[in-house]
Amino acid sequence: MEALLRAEKLTKHYGPVLALDNAHFEVVEGVTGLLGSNGAGKSTAIKLFLGLISPTSGSMHVLGVDASRAIEVRSRLGYMPEHDCLPGNVSAAEFLTHMAQVSGIPPSQARSRAADTLRHVGLFEERYRPIGGYSTGMKQRVKLAQALVHDPALILLDEPTAGLDPGGREEMLDLVRKTHTDFGISLMLSSHLMGDVERTCDRIIVLEDGHVVQQGDVTGFTEEIETVFVEVEERREEFMAALKARGINAEDQGTAVIIPEATEETYDEITAALVEAQAPLRRLGPRRHALSEIFDDVPAQQPVAQETAE
Amino acid sequence: MTSAVGPGTGTSNGGNREGQVFDLGYRRYDGPREGRNRARLAVYTDGLRISLGLGRGGRAKILPWLFVGIAVGIGLIFALIAGTVDRVAGEGIAEAADLPSHSDYYTATGILLFLFAAVVGPELLCPDRHNGIINLYLVRPISSIDYVIARFLAFLTVMLVVVWLPQIVLLIGLAFSASQPGDYLVDHWEDIPKFLAAGAAIAVYTTSVGLAVAAFTTRRGYASVGLVGLFLISQFAAGVLGETVTGTAGEWLGLISLSDPPLHINELVFNVEDSLNAGYAARDLPTAIRILAFFVLTAVPIGILLARYRRLSV
Repeated sequence: MEALLRAEKLTKHYGPVLALDNAHFEVVEGVTGLLGSNGAGKSTAIKLFLGLISPTSGSMHVLGVDASRAIEVRSRLGYMPEHDCLPGNVSAAEFLTHMAQVSGIPPSQARSRAADTLRHVGLFEERYRPIGGYSTGMKQRVKLAQALVHDPALILLDEPTAGLDPGGREEMLDLVRKTHTDFGISLMLSSHLMGDVERTCDRIIVLEDGHVVQQGDVTGFTEEIETVFVEVEERREEFMAALKARGINAEDQGTAVIIPEATEETYDEITAALVEAQAPLRRLGPRRHALSEIFDDVPAQQPVAQETAE
Repeated sequence: MTSAVGPGTGTSNGGNREGQVFDLGYRRYDGPREGRNRARLAVYTDGLRISLGLGRGGRAKILPWLFVGIAVGIGLIFALIAGTVDRVAGEGIAEAADLPSHSDYYTATGILLFLFAAVVGPELLCPDRHNGIINLYLVRPISSIDYVIARFLAFLTVMLVVVWLPQIVLLIGLAFSASQPGDYLVDHWEDIPKFLAAGAAIAVYTTSVGLAVAAFTTRRGYASVGLVGLFLISQFAAGVLGETVTGTAGEWLGLISLSDPPLHINELVFNVEDSLNAGYAARDLPTAIRILAFFVLTAVPIGILLARYRRLSV
C-alpha cells in the first residue's frame, strides 16, 4: 500500500531543544494514532507534514510529494489544530463555505459542502448561529468540519479530544472513526491517552522525547502491554507467592498487585493463585494505561522501532 | 453527484453536477479543485466582506458604514453648498468664490479617511492571528505571502471605493447644479483624473501603513490606537520641529509628519497649498522630492508587512 505520509530520518531542533530525532515512520490508509506525552514531538511531527515548519534534516513526503514545498498538495489535506482557530462573529455555515473555497473548491459547491459537512458533525441546526456562542464541544466539531469540508485524502488531527468531557470525547472519537469507515478518508490523530487511540485507531505510532519508540497495529500493541491489576482484602504476601509459583511476573505496589504482559491464560492463573492463597478479592481488571506508565515499561529507543520503520 | 448517492457512496461515473440535491449528509467530492488561485480569490473576497462587516453581526457593520456615510455625506454637502450658491447668486459665482470642490475634499476629510484605515484595516489581519485562524489558512493551498497580498488588495479596494465614491457624488452634484450638466463635465473633465490620482494616493498609503502596523499586534484595538498615535505624534513632532528648525533641514523634517504624504500628492495634483496637516515646511522641497517621499513612505510599510508575514511562525 502506498504510504500517505512518510518520514525518513526526520529531525527537528528548536534551538537547543530536540523536538524530533531521526524519526522514521509511515502512515498508510486507515486511522493512525500518534501517541505520546506532552512534549514528545507529536505537534512538531504534524506541523512538519503540513509544511508549517521546516525540518532541520531528513525528509517527509505527503501523498507522494515532498512536504516542504507542496502548496498544491494541501488541497487534499485537512488539519484540525489543537488550539483555538475559529472566528467568533461568523456563523459556522459562512466559515466553512469560506474555508472550502480557500482549499480550492468553487463557491457554488462550497456552500452545499459546508452544509453537508456540518450535518455530518451534528451541527446542522445551529449552523447559522455565530460560532462565538458555541460550547467547547460544538467548537471542536466545527474544527473537525473545517478539516473535512474539502474532502481531503488525509486529515491530521492534533489532540482532537483536548478539553472535552467524557461524553464529548466519545462523540468526537466516534466521528473520527465514522469519517474513515463511512467515507474512506484516512486520519492521523495525536493524543496522550492510550484509551483514545486504542478504541479509534487501526495503527499506532508511539513518540517519546522525539523518538519513535514503537509502531504497528493497535491490536498487537495493546496485547503486548496489557496489564492486570488485582486488589485483595488481605493475604497479599501469600497471593504474590502463589503467582510466583506459577511463573507469573507480578509487582507488589502496596495497595494493588500489578501483573504486566497479561494474556487470557494469565487470568486463569490469577484466579487459581487467588484461590490457593485464599486471598479475598476486592478488585481485578485490566489496567488502562496512562501513557507515562507504558513508557516506564518501554525503554526509550527500542530497536524494534527502527526495524519496523525500515 | 447524483440524487441516487447516499452518504458514504462515492460516484465515479456521474458528471451531472447540475442536479441540486438536499439532505444528503457528507459525501466525497469529485468536482473541480481550483487550488491556489481560488484560495487567493477567497481570501481577497473575505477581506472585502470583513472590511464592510458583511456576513457578520450588526455591530460589525456600524463603524465601516458610518465612515462611508460621513465621507459621502461630506461630498454631498460640498455639492449642495456649490449648487445653492449658484442658484441663489447666479451661475459661476460658486467657482469664482472658491467654494469647496474636488481639490478641497481630501483636505477636509483626510483625518476621517486615516481614521477609517486605522479602525477597519487591522480587522483584516489581527483577528486571524489572535484567534489562530491563520493556522487554517497556512495549511491550505496558499502561502503566507499570498494571504497577506490578498488581504492588502482587498483593503486597498475598499479604500479606493471609500475615497473615490464621495468625489464621484460631488462631481455628479456639481454637474447637476449647473444649468447645462453636459457643458459642466466638458469644462471640468480634468478634475476626474486629478481626484482619481489624489484619492489613489490616500488609499494606497493608508492601506500600506494601516496593515503594516496591524502586523505587529494580534489585537485590533492596539493597532488602531497605535496608528492614531503614530499620526498624531509625528504631526506634533513635525509641527514643533518646523517652527524651531529652519532652512533645508527644517524642510526635510516636515516630511516626518506621517499623516501628510498623500496630501502632498493632493496639493501637487490640484496645485493648491492648503491640504497638509502639519509638515508645512516640506512644501518648499522640490516637487520630485515630495513625490519620492510619498512613494518611499508607502513602499517601506509594504516591505515591513511582507517581511512580517514571510517569517510568520505558527
